[in-house]
Amino acid sequence: MTSILQPQKEATGTYTFSSRPRALQNRNKYRDPVAEQNEEQAQYGNIMYDRRVVRGNTYAQNILPISAQTDPIEIQRMQEARRRAVARKRAKEQLRPRTPEPVEGRKHIDVQTELYLEELSDRIEESDVQCQTDAFLDRPATPLFIPAKTGKDVATQILEGELFDFDIEVNPILEVLTGKTIEQALLEVMEEEELASLRAQQRAFEELRNAELVEVQRLEEQERRHREEKEHRMKQQREVLRLEKESAKKIAARAFAQHYLADLLPSVYSSLQDNGYFYDSVERDVETEFMPWLMTEVEKTLDKRVFGRTMLDMLIREVVKQRLDIFEKMEQTKHASK
Amino acid sequence: MTAVRISGNLPPNIDCTKAPIAFGRRAVPKVNEELQNPELITRQRALMSLCDLVHDPEIALEAMRLGCLESLKRLLRDVDSTVRMKTTEVFYRLATHNVGRVAFLKSDVILPLSQLFDEPVDVCRKNMHMAIEMMSEFPGGAVGLVEAGLIPRLVFKLTSELEEIQELILDTLHFCLCVDASEALASEAVSVLKEKLSHRSARIRNKAARALMDLSLGVQVCNLKHTLPSVPLEGKNKLCEEEVIPILVTLLGDPSPEVAASAAGALMSATVTTPGKYAALNADALPPLLGLVRSPQTNVCLNAVKAITVLAEAPEGRKELLKHLDLLEDLRGHDSEVTRRAAETAMRVITWKP
Repeated sequence: MTSILQPQKEATGTYTFSSRPRALQNRNKYRDPVAEQNEEQAQYGNIMYDRRVVRGNTYAQNILPISAQTDPIEIQRMQEARRRAVARKRAKEQLRPRTPEPVEGRKHIDVQTELYLEELSDRIEESDVQCQTDAFLDRPATPLFIPAKTGKDVATQILEGELFDFDIEVNPILEVLTGKTIEQALLEVMEEEELASLRAQQRAFEELRNAELVEVQRLEEQERRHREEKEHRMKQQREVLRLEKESAKKIAARAFAQHYLADLLPSVYSSLQDNGYFYDSVERDVETEFMPWLMTEVEKTLDKRVFGRTMLDMLIREVVKQRLDIFEKMEQTKHASK
Repeated sequence: MTAVRISGNLPPNIDCTKAPIAFGRRAVPKVNEELQNPELITRQRALMSLCDLVHDPEIALEAMRLGCLESLKRLLRDVDSTVRMKTTEVFYRLATHNVGRVAFLKSDVILPLSQLFDEPVDVCRKNMHMAIEMMSEFPGGAVGLVEAGLIPRLVFKLTSELEEIQELILDTLHFCLCVDASEALASEAVSVLKEKLSHRSARIRNKAARALMDLSLGVQVCNLKHTLPSVPLEGKNKLCEEEVIPILVTLLGDPSPEVAASAAGALMSATVTTPGKYAALNADALPPLLGLVRSPQTNVCLNAVKAITVLAEAPEGRKELLKHLDLLEDLRGHDSEVTRRAAETAMRVITWKP
């Protein structure tokens, strides 16, 4: 609240204020929406009718004690007095007859029942309005500060075709764009064509080369095979020759051997026979058994004969001897007798 | 109201995705400097403009002379995928020029490029494969690729890549195999290619058959010095072992003529050995080959005639082909000289008596 009073009192120097004295305004009962905007036209109140000013005699006033703190006894007494008052009041209330409590969902309301209805002018139309802030609503962003417009508004308008002609202006730009793109594309296409033609040439050459190479390899292979075949044949031929020679030698050797051994068999037979390997078993039997027995018998017989002869010889000898003895004796006797 | 005034010059072509190209002589050096800038957006814009610039062979030459290749090699390992994509595209464009390819070999670009084999972004891989394929199309490049040991890795990747990239890999392999077939044989290329023979795309079948043909022809070129092409048997024996010949015979009846031509080519080189011949004869190769002889395309016709010639070395083949001599008679009047010669050779072989 701005003070309208000029600070004249301060100029004299008698008072110093922490806050300047100002005339208090009378507060209206109802908030006037219009009055809030123009605070300069506030109403000033009359001090005589201001409820905040103390009235009456000053000699028997209930002044506040100097010390803010009350005595504990005082406090207790006050509390007790309060409690007693409350209790009395409650008792009184209970004795009073009352209207019954309203039914659920209903509310008692006073109604004028006199003959003449009074207009209740002091009763304000009330309506309950409540408001509840949403939980956790973010503070919305501060609205853009758009300063108040100053100056004059001037407008201008460019009609179509006044500034430039689009179709004409866009031509060169389009030319450049498409030109560059096509140029680039042409370059690339030409390069690719060049490469393609080079490759085609290369391919033709390669075909030739491959064909020739295969021909060469085939011929080489052929040559190799022929050579191998030839060698093989020659080897075979040599083998055959060798076999022939060998067989000729074999035949010669066989003939010689045959000839050499032609005599072998009869001579073998004869020598075997000579050695007595072939014998007639009866003959052998005869020879092995009969002959020795025969011989022994013959021997025995001969022995007997010899024995007989020996006996005879002995006999003869004895006889001769005896005769000789006799003759000798006779001789002796003859001599002796002479 | 303003007056409409149209200027005579064309408006400037301001493309905000590309770095502005400096005038005249400063164009390439400035782009080269911007390539080494630590800021990502500058590098990307510089790469976009470089991509457009190197279409011109003169600018490509200048770029390589000024050492752009070094900065580009470093950018290959950049974390941002757009940078890598554009770098591989620049490499591809450079590889389309001959000077580019020679410079690649000199500055050893193949190895850093090949490190991108396992790149997660598809476009980068595709560009990288296109660059490598360009490299392989000339003999020095193919030798370089073989020496860098890329053949086994390419064969391995063949099984697991996308279709378009598979086509590129097959092309690369075709040219590399013309140089050296032994490494591929060592890395089981035959089984991988055998699977690809039954692929649904005709182009892949064609290229796979072509690669098989190269494998079995197996010319070995060391250090750009041509040795005498002996008959390298490993390729052909491998083909017989893996039973590829029956599949090739079925491919002879393929609707696409290119595939039939490549299959006939592969057959003609694989059947030079005796087991190959008998495998082909057992798989009934002769009727489709005779059908292919009548084809109007020189390619198909030539390969078919050559295959017939090789098969006629075997006595069974000769017996069978004696009945079809008139077909080859017709070919005697063909336009292409090669075909005529081939037809005459075929007839000679068929009518040979031991």
